[in-house]
Amino acid sequence: MRIFHKKDGGIVQLVDKNNMLEWPIELPLIFVEYIRSNKLDTYGDSKVKKEIEEYLEEITKDIAIPRFISVLKGDNYEEIILALTRIEELSKKKSKIDMIKPIEKYLEDLLNNNNKKISLLANNISKNFISAERKKQLDKKRKVMKEKEELFLVGKISPEEYANARKEYLNLKD
Amino acid sequence: MSKQKSKKEYDFKAAKELYKEYLEIGEEKKKITLPEGTVKIDDLNRREAIKRIHDLADDLIEKILTTGKPSIELPSRSSSNIIWDEKNDLLLLGQQIMQKQFHSLTSVVDITRLIRVLEMVYSLLTEDIHTSKRDIFYNDVKLFGKQEASDKCIEDVATMLYTTRNSTHIVANPRGGCVGRLRIRDKNDIIDLETLGSGTWQISPYLDQIEILESDAEFILVIEKNAVMMRLTEDRFWRKHPCILLTAQGVGNVATRMFLKRLNKELNLPTFTLVDSDPYGHYIHSVYLRGSKRLSYETPFLATPNIKLLGVLTKDLDEYNIPKLARLPMKPLDIKRAKDLLKEDFVQKNKKWEKDIKMALKDKVKAEIQALSTHGFKFITDEYLPEKLSTGDWI
Repeated sequence: MRIFHKKDGGIVQLVDKNNMLEWPIELPLIFVEYIRSNKLDTYGDSKVKKEIEEYLEEITKDIAIPRFISVLKGDNYEEIILALTRIEELSKKKSKIDMIKPIEKYLEDLLNNNNKKISLLANNISKNFISAERKKQLDKKRKVMKEKEELFLVGKISPEEYANARKEYLNLKD
Repeated sequence: MSKQKSKKEYDFKAAKELYKEYLEIGEEKKKITLPEGTVKIDDLNRREAIKRIHDLADDLIEKILTTGKPSIELPSRSSSNIIWDEKNDLLLLGQQIMQKQFHSLTSVVDITRLIRVLEMVYSLLTEDIHTSKRDIFYNDVKLFGKQEASDKCIEDVATMLYTTRNSTHIVANPRGGCVGRLRIRDKNDIIDLETLGSGTWQISPYLDQIEILESDAEFILVIEKNAVMMRLTEDRFWRKHPCILLTAQGVGNVATRMFLKRLNKELNLPTFTLVDSDPYGHYIHSVYLRGSKRLSYETPFLATPNIKLLGVLTKDLDEYNIPKLARLPMKPLDIKRAKDLLKEDFVQKNKKWEKDIKMALKDKVKAEIQALSTHGFKFITDEYLPEKLSTGDWI
């Protein structure tokens, strides 16, 4: 077990990440999500919360994602479908999609897979990645646009420069 | 009323100090080195157990080919071969070996039954399913005649494979319950033992499928009575005092003891029993502490040698002013049990324990845990347990 000590003398113990090597493929990520959404806020100690958050990221990076990748690169259709179904669920959530980003490049080979279910799932996930990336870009542009607006209002940039920025933003938004 | 006769905040200082002590010497405590002359038993996974059966079959074939007189050797489970390991406070099997001959007329029935059980165990392991002792008996009633015969073979098979009975996928019926600050994995499901409504999680006998995932408990409490467990569950005792509660509703069955052992070993938490203040309650504590004679070969996987007897102690009856009316006279069987306990090495070595049993024998009184309710239904959760865990008043 990995032990985390609270300031008040209490403790939190979490299963060692190496135990997860034997787990069903999707379970390490489910565990990470479970602790994040159900337990993290109950520990009532910011230091422990931060340390556990780091440990959960470690599990995702060192165990959960590499295990997904090893399945996606394999040839067991049943396992691939199970893994892709789980990834698809995660890819629908804004807060989780970055967690599974490392597997994006392994999806390319599956987009035109002979197995219809595999190709459908891979395409859905790919679309979700594209959509999430677009939203991220849009957020960035929106921030830039706000700055440009302020600068334009105080006369620090020309109307042309503002119009170009606005055009870029609207294109991306469409 | 409690000794202080007033409500106060309890800091659980003694239990917390015990945890710190465990943490400092934790790794050392967890490693049990068995003394020389005792049999080492392994808790095996499915693959390892199958391999042991293959090795045993290979050995038999070799004996058939070389001597023509095959036999099976297994450690004797007779009382003369049971050794008390004083250092680890465990009952263990010695190295007396029993031989079962295939070619002898006297042992032909025995060996046929034994090999039949071995065959069933092999099927269970290869198919990755579990069954009960009763099912094994009904699988071949004609051969076994009565369940005692198949039960004996089941234990023989486990010992001849040098493993635990659970590793053979023959499991006990579920009886125990657990609740509190604990999250476990049962195959692909995460189970939160804090969110079970008014119930408890039934301790699964398929312990090979159970894994401890997370806990912020600071101690474990094993309770003899289900009624007391219900009281603590209804009061959500673990919310106020981070802990894990267990009950086996009487003497700890194999699954409960094995699960407790896992909790104690993996989480390294102070562990206590709360039993009736009578010799049978003390006996129940002793079974958790150092195992039973019948299953001595599995003791390292069943016993929790650092478990403490929190109560109800004989001296508590006076210290917590339990009215005379709530105390019961000891019966002849209680007196015999108390005397038997006093003869045990592990009691004689523990002076506090010996003193408490002697006090019970002198006064010839006993009491149930529920006798504490004479001070109110919540006395046990609000005062008795917090006070004992704060002051370190345990054996």
